[in-house]
Amino acid sequence: MTELSDETRTRAAAPTHPPPREVAPTTRSGRRRPRLPQVGERKVAFLFLAPWFLGLALITVGPILGSLYLSFTDYSLLAPPEWTGLDNYARMVADPRFYQSLEVTFIYVFISVPLQLAFALALALALDKGLRGLAIYRSVYYLPSLLGASVAVAVLWRQMFGAEGLVNAALENLGFTDLPGWVSDPDYALGTIIILNVWTFGSPMVIFLAGLRQIPQMYYEAAAIDGAGALRRFASITLPLLSPIIFFNLVLQLIGSFQSFTQAFVISSGRGSPADSTLFYTLYLYLRGFGNFDMGYASALAWVLLLIVGVLTAANFLVSRFWVFYGDD
Amino acid sequence: MTAAACGGGGGAPAASGADDGPVTLRFYWWGSDSRHQYTQQLIEQYQAANPGVTIEAEFSGFDDYWDRLATATAGGDAPDVMQQDTRYVAEYAERGALADLTEFMPGVIDTAQLDEPMLKTGQLDGTSYAIPTGVNAFALLANPKLFADTGVAVPDDTTWTWDQMVQVAGQVSAAGGGQVFGVQDLGFNETSLEIFARQRGEALFDESGDVGFTRQTVVDWWNTMLALRDSGGTSPPSISVESQAGGVDGSLTANGRAALGSWWTNQLPAISSATGQDMELLRWPGESPQAGMYLKPAMFWSISSRSEHPEAAAKFIDYLINSPEAAELALSDRGLPINTALREQIVPKLKPADQRSAAFVEEITPSLAEPPGLPPQGAGEVQRILQQLHEQVLFDQLTVDEAADRFMSELDAATA
Repeated sequence: MTELSDETRTRAAAPTHPPPREVAPTTRSGRRRPRLPQVGERKVAFLFLAPWFLGLALITVGPILGSLYLSFTDYSLLAPPEWTGLDNYARMVADPRFYQSLEVTFIYVFISVPLQLAFALALALALDKGLRGLAIYRSVYYLPSLLGASVAVAVLWRQMFGAEGLVNAALENLGFTDLPGWVSDPDYALGTIIILNVWTFGSPMVIFLAGLRQIPQMYYEAAAIDGAGALRRFASITLPLLSPIIFFNLVLQLIGSFQSFTQAFVISSGRGSPADSTLFYTLYLYLRGFGNFDMGYASALAWVLLLIVGVLTAANFLVSRFWVFYGDD
Repeated sequence: MTAAACGGGGGAPAASGADDGPVTLRFYWWGSDSRHQYTQQLIEQYQAANPGVTIEAEFSGFDDYWDRLATATAGGDAPDVMQQDTRYVAEYAERGALADLTEFMPGVIDTAQLDEPMLKTGQLDGTSYAIPTGVNAFALLANPKLFADTGVAVPDDTTWTWDQMVQVAGQVSAAGGGQVFGVQDLGFNETSLEIFARQRGEALFDESGDVGFTRQTVVDWWNTMLALRDSGGTSPPSISVESQAGGVDGSLTANGRAALGSWWTNQLPAISSATGQDMELLRWPGESPQAGMYLKPAMFWSISSRSEHPEAAAKFIDYLINSPEAAELALSDRGLPINTALREQIVPKLKPADQRSAAFVEEITPSLAEPPGLPPQGAGEVQRILQQLHEQVLFDQLTVDEAADRFMSELDAATA
């Protein structure tokens, strides 16, 4: 490590190149112009990137392209794939469970993502007040994010939200009667999974907290002197200056939520139970692939999901021009 | 979760062609800890008696098993000897993944003592792809304490009807005060429907692998399930769904909250020890005049069609099913041995609970019909379709007629 960096340093200082300046040149808008990497540095960079790049090519890009091919075949896993053209995609159009899984997933994503972000932002604001023991609170609230996607927690939730679980026992003590099984009644199961997802608000919260720290305190002081109330300060200072962070979280959570699998798999007994009310898209994909030996169809499902997420993310970026504020434009 | 490392991943021995050189066989099964332990002992025993043969063990739980077996098969890396299940034999065999065992029978695999009708359950069009390990029956388990506590008499299972079951279950639930129910919901296992259909001279699938029952049978089936729900004989739908999701340990039967439940005969010991009661085995209602119950192969042994040593693998299977030493270790864990001589030999050595299930199988065998053949490709879907529609019926999201229509058409599509 040190040898390499020494070498690059000497090269950078070699007389053929202009000597490094004290201050990097700046553009009009005040941002630093990135220094172009030297040839030797580039080689070293590629060398360091090589393991990651190999992994990307072999473990990610290869299988992705493989699945594109498989999506045009009838592939049972047990016998070699047979080319069937667009057959899988045509079957999808006529598949009621495909639509059911889309409906479940869209409801899940469009309810749980905004709820989760709102929750994360609210807690980040509360924690940003300079509490004592902030690190502890931050860790405590972050914990569900680490645990939330785990099988153990999903199993625990299934117990707690069962017809005779802790939650209903507590509600009965408060005088409620005729309570449903929150995970076993088709009218409520998806809602329970949404709440489980909202509960894992920790990682967007930590990012929000970091974002809040970046907002210069003087804006708030100036606004306070001008007589702006807390709400006004939030709407006119916090929200605009935080909008890139909100956007970042939104994109990440949206993509992540479309791929939710574990919670649905555990809570729904691995089959979208009860009555397909928690048949998430990825769960259906898994069931088709491994349950029905229908890998071709499952691959086609995966590509349709990629398309949906791609289009939504692109739309997200387009719309972001109207509400995300980057400060320097 | 599973301790099973991919033992021989790509570790196939240099092709030695003939089976007289050193041979390495990969052997994959699913099961519980106790099964893993005695199966390892079986392997050691076999290796000691057959120098030159090395057996690499791989094992996992049931759910992981099928994902891993499918992926291994896709990668051309299937184990030589594998445990198989009724639902999947046709899937694998018809796609050329299983070796034809007929050529080794009876030369390598001695079939003299094997239960003949049972042997047929591993055949497709007269070709053997799988040898049953042993037999089970799907029966009802009764909790005598719950019957006594609620003051309801245990029904006479040789004569009782479905209507009587609805009545008895309702009585138990009424006395159980919301904590104890008459019967754990029966509608989640397609074997229940199979028995119901066979009592009417129908079957889930006919000999050619097509749907073998009428729409009316399914309508009657779900009406019976709803009668049980409405009489309070089964638990409220949410609890039924959760009981089902809880597996054996989380079920109402195992928790001592259902007086009756439908289980495989080899599950009697597990349920008995969970409830702390000597559970009793009962026939299904409606078994007379025509019996619907049958002996089912508990699981199978199969050989991969890609195996480089099929004969050595067949020899190992012969040891698993025909050797007295192997039977002593396995007892009835993989069902009552298909080798009828060994079956008699091990019965006295079984634990009392296992002895009772063996005696029950012995007792009902004369009245049973021949077991159904292998279900067609896509049969793995039947249970999924049945469960999903059953839940919709239980929660009144579908009427019985709508559910029956969808069951018939989805089943047709799945097995087409």
